[in-house]
Amino acid sequence: MHAADLAVDILLALGVGAELLCVAGVLVMRTTFDRLHYAAAATTVPALLVLAAALVREHVTSGGLEAIAAVGLLFLLNPALVIATARAARRIEEAGET
Amino acid sequence: MNAFQIAATVLIAALAPLLVAASLRRPIDGLVAVETAGAVTTLALVCLSVGLGQSFLFTVAVIAAVASWIGGLVFARFLGRWI
Repeated sequence: MHAADLAVDILLALGVGAELLCVAGVLVMRTTFDRLHYAAAATTVPALLVLAAALVREHVTSGGLEAIAAVGLLFLLNPALVIATARAARRIEEAGET
Repeated sequence: MNAFQIAATVLIAALAPLLVAASLRRPIDGLVAVETAGAVTTLALVCLSVGLGQSFLFTVAVIAAVASWIGGLVFARFLGRWI
């Protein structure tokens, strides 16, 4: 087994494992804000690990650049989505209290 | 089956509980599950693209990332305003 294959296996295992952990967090946590915490985490470290594995295999080809674009969009845009969702959740909770 | 195909299979399998949660829980919690499903789908498409050697799937992954983000924002806005 080449070093690149080993690196791909390790990066993929870590990335998919971390992603599954985030999915489990979204499913198991009790409050909406706790769930959002895990939903936000799903687009950070796990996504970058999977991207790293893809780049080890693809190098900087057009496919590699598109993988960077896909994961980069996830990484950069998702915080805005998390904030919008948290604000909506807060509004709903406030409306429920009054 | 190579490592990327196995990773894509595991990620696609992880979508099932998220979709069940999205359909059964409160709308705002369902939205969180759908947002997570969007991220998982994008990563699964990246893995599938490398694993199958089909470069067009990279483009699908980019489109999935943008579309799931826009959809999530629209739903968040809708839920915050009208529910």
